[in-house]
Amino acid sequence: MNEALRRLVGEAWAFRTRVEHDAASRFTRLAAAISSFDPASPAIALMERAAADERRHAGLCAELSLAYGERAPEEGAFPEIAPAGLPPRAAVLYEVVAACCITETESVATVTTLLAAPAEGRVREILHEIARDEVVHGRMGWGHLAREAAQTDVSFLAQWIPTMLAGTADEGLFAEAAPEYESEELLRHGVLPHSRKRAIFVATLEGVVFPGLERFGVDPEAGRTWLAARQGPPPARA
Amino acid sequence: MLFRKLFQVLVLGGAVVGSATGCSTRADAQTKPAPRDGGAAADAGTAGGGVKGW
Repeated sequence: MNEALRRLVGEAWAFRTRVEHDAASRFTRLAAAISSFDPASPAIALMERAAADERRHAGLCAELSLAYGERAPEEGAFPEIAPAGLPPRAAVLYEVVAACCITETESVATVTTLLAAPAEGRVREILHEIARDEVVHGRMGWGHLAREAAQTDVSFLAQWIPTMLAGTADEGLFAEAAPEYESEELLRHGVLPHSRKRAIFVATLEGVVFPGLERFGVDPEAGRTWLAARQGPPPARA
Repeated sequence: MLFRKLFQVLVLGGAVVGSATGCSTRADAQTKPAPRDGGAAADAGTAGGGVKGW
């Protein structure tokens, strides 16, 4: 593995360390918030468990980050992401949908894709451990949305889906990347080549996230428009 | 195939999780409260954001 690739892989695992710290902090806060208005919700215990999972994942990602020569970030302060004008319960729902229904769902698809490719021994062990937990984390978000949809009108979320997506995906995801970012060798080290990452992101939105939102009463059309604008026009017919 | 499976496991599985314990205040469609943001979206002091992932 050359130095450029090693650095790229190390940076990816360092970034994931930060993502996992962020998730641990968020799930702890959301569990407490949900217990204040829906103490019988199964999401409370699931989020408390998820917070512990994410702290463990942060350690695993940091281990790989260091193994590839990058120092992993420390746990930091992560802000709430819901728009300030939303009432508290709606703000919790916003954050659960952004963090779980979109981001955790995307993470499950990413890790599952990575596990389908050959990977280095320790990388594979860690991917397996994380994949098992991420499925639970994604499901608990969909569960919270389903539960809220049964009690109240959740359609207000539709207008916010593009904002959530813009905060999840960097604009760079839809641009061409330097050749080292497309190397198939990345897969052995637990990182998706750039164009593969984009394809998984798009297919997960189209195949899981948008139909899921629609199922629970959130119109995904604004999200689809956001995605179409980033993908450009369809290829012209011959 | 992967995405159909993910839809079943995450979305449909989530629906089961969400209804697993004491959904005490389930309301039918006619008694659901109005959307809770009202016109707040345009007045939001923070624009809102998303969550970075893998």
